[in-house]
Amino acid sequence: MNNNRTRVCITGLGLVSALGDGLAATETTLRHGQACLGRLRLFPLLQGAGLPVGQAVFTEDKNSPLPRTHQLALHAAKQALAHSSGHVPDAIVVGCTTGGMLSTENMLAEHPAAASTSICGNSVCANSACRYHALATVGAELARFTGCSGPVLTVSTACSSGALALALALRLLRSGQARRVLAGGVDSLCRLTFFGFHSLQLVDATGPKPMDRHRRGMAVGEGAAMLLLSSAEEDTPLAELLGAGLSCDAYHPASPHPQGDGALAAMRSALADAGLAPEDIDYINLHGTGTVDNDLAEARAIRRLFAQPPPISSIKGASGHSLAAAGAIEAVLASLALAKGFIPANTGFSEFDPDLGLHPQDKPVDKPLRSLLSNSFGFGGNNASLVFAAAGAFPEQPKLVGALPPLAVHACACFTGAGDLAATLARLESGQSCADRVEIARYCTTLPARQLRRLQRLTKLSLALAAAVVPEGKPAAVDSVFMGTGWGSLSETADFLARLEESGQQFPSPTNFIGSVHNSPAGQVALLLGAKGANVTTSGGEQSFEQACFAANLLACRSNRHIQRNDQQHTEQDEPGTLSSLLLGADEAHVSWSPMLDAAICPDTPLADGGGALLLRRDTQAAMAVISHCQLFSGQTAVTLLLDALGGARRAGERIGLILAGISAVDKGLAYAQLEEFRRLCGQHIPVCLYRDFLGQFASASAVAAVLAVSLLREQYIPAVLLTDQKRVLSPVYLGGKSVLLLGCGYTLSAVEFALP
Amino acid sequence: MDVLIEELKGKLITLLNLQELTPETFDADAHLVGGELGIDSIDVLEMVVMVEKDYGVLINNQEVGQQVFATLRSLAAHIKQHSPTKTP
Repeated sequence: MNNNRTRVCITGLGLVSALGDGLAATETTLRHGQACLGRLRLFPLLQGAGLPVGQAVFTEDKNSPLPRTHQLALHAAKQALAHSSGHVPDAIVVGCTTGGMLSTENMLAEHPAAASTSICGNSVCANSACRYHALATVGAELARFTGCSGPVLTVSTACSSGALALALALRLLRSGQARRVLAGGVDSLCRLTFFGFHSLQLVDATGPKPMDRHRRGMAVGEGAAMLLLSSAEEDTPLAELLGAGLSCDAYHPASPHPQGDGALAAMRSALADAGLAPEDIDYINLHGTGTVDNDLAEARAIRRLFAQPPPISSIKGASGHSLAAAGAIEAVLASLALAKGFIPANTGFSEFDPDLGLHPQDKPVDKPLRSLLSNSFGFGGNNASLVFAAAGAFPEQPKLVGALPPLAVHACACFTGAGDLAATLARLESGQSCADRVEIARYCTTLPARQLRRLQRLTKLSLALAAAVVPEGKPAAVDSVFMGTGWGSLSETADFLARLEESGQQFPSPTNFIGSVHNSPAGQVALLLGAKGANVTTSGGEQSFEQACFAANLLACRSNRHIQRNDQQHTEQDEPGTLSSLLLGADEAHVSWSPMLDAAICPDTPLADGGGALLLRRDTQAAMAVISHCQLFSGQTAVTLLLDALGGARRAGERIGLILAGISAVDKGLAYAQLEEFRRLCGQHIPVCLYRDFLGQFASASAVAAVLAVSLLREQYIPAVLLTDQKRVLSPVYLGGKSVLLLGCGYTLSAVEFALP
Repeated sequence: MDVLIEELKGKLITLLNLQELTPETFDADAHLVGGELGIDSIDVLEMVVMVEKDYGVLINNQEVGQQVFATLRSLAAHIKQHSPTKTP
């Protein structure tokens, strides 16, 4: 169902950061223009005690099992929903990089052996202490708190995560799939990020001075900001989100493109999406971390785009850089600035830098604003720009005409313990399991040695997948990358923290920190392919791949909108682009961190990893399959909601020829109950394959299952040996033109349907 | 100093995973950063950590860093000059 009104309003705000707890306190701080940085007081330091941080004005509830990150997120969510008249959000999108890392680090500080033993469930306890380590648990707790039964996405793209979450929420609302979305970002301080940025020499011990001639770096901060976005006309707007633009530098893993190419692309795209020209923007809220490189690249991009730049400022001199929370915190501040008519100061600035050529606002100033551009440029070249407007400031809104066609699969590849796709299929046909660790070295031989030398397991696996699925000699056709990973780069994370601990916090490895961020693999894939469009990493536990697919549906393969201005009537055609998108899911098995973190891994579970990749385009010509449905639900009515979304139980039952079911090892009872309910309602006759029994127990096994789905569609038959009721089935089961449903069961329910084109 | 140079060759090859190089083929006078070896700013940071850890020499100034890491030989010279302990 298409919603012709694309007006997306911000109707609820919540935030907590170093600037204060809640809107009123934050506004007071901003009007004084004071810096809120201080010494880190969350965990003991052997080194770096003098480095300023932006610690949030927030005291954790020590009796709660939830890590600090989750508590911050819930705190902000409560504020945002306080005036929402009891409406439950239809969907949640949250950006995060730290998850439960602080709690895991605290546990390791007391029990260092937990990280180096490969025995899981040891009494020290790992599994229960790490229960909330995964980024997915942040989204899950927000869903539990709000009662949301619709899609919940957890995204992790370093410093642009919060802004990306809002961009996804915007697309979701415009697509008509949701009317109210809770979106934002959160991160807590932790050793990994505190020492990580310090190891990169990106932290200024004297405090960040964004845009200043003598700036020497950032300060790490923390916080949470959540916004309720709505397309429901009856909700009262505080401000409006007019547009979003995403890009990827595809330049370097840690440094931004020096001329700000990616930043420029994101800002241009956001303006086009909002239907505004640069001269329509009244204020730019900078990413402005205070590092030499970011501020230079950002300033250059602004000067290329704006003939006469409007007032600009960065608030990170006051708050520090809250990583995934930053884009969302700044979105809340944008709403405040628009509603109240004032521009926050660029705290920390004192001397103009001629290389930047821009004078930021050095004092807070009252000024009515109609529109505002906010930038968030992340590590790995992940750029997001958002355009906000005062409620009702731009009554003429571009109208969306027509829906985008579904994504079609043009190529696929996978790696498992058995090997590549051909080897995996051969193993499966004999009814044997592929569960094992991938022989990565074997599949990286064609990749550039220069790029590989600093990379570890998960990133190498991701690159191998990308190389396997993109036609040789045609990498330039891939524009966007969507990757799901349940646990991220465990090798680099484990190594960084081990070195940190061994050296008394003195000598952690910068390379390991850069490689440890969840979006590092997707960033390296973008580098390999020159993919400069949207670059999204989702981390949704065992449904990470499905969440990436959901995001791809919203963002992949769209052209920049073509806007016709005709007597103030703006119409636009959202045409499918001619470019391709890479959708992948991968996870690495780390010999000690995987059993430590993943409760699905038991003493007798073979350590397994792997991944799958699909090359997607909107055109179905010569496609292998079409992704006809991609749905995410949770809660007690999830199965009913899903069947509705699939066109009703009867239609689904007639259409689906095979269910590839992913049973969550952690929520087994719930998962089996869902599967049974699904089959009971739409047809006991539909054959089922419990794919984790064959592919292995790792979070992104569903990505391999997706590739399996596409392969089975092409072959049109299912080896009987894969099916659960194979005693009754003696010969291969023919699909007969029917579709294959990838069904993820557990605390959340996901469904991705693959059909013949 | 030759001993130090040989020692550094081995360390850098391991540290930066320069699989195509051996101590024999590693030219002590070739450009380290931005040269044929493809060494970049991240590698420089790794080298900074190594130099502090293994030789006790701190390099925390970007300009100093640029001169010090120009070639392997200049790196060895800097370490020799600033190391608190005797280096061969």
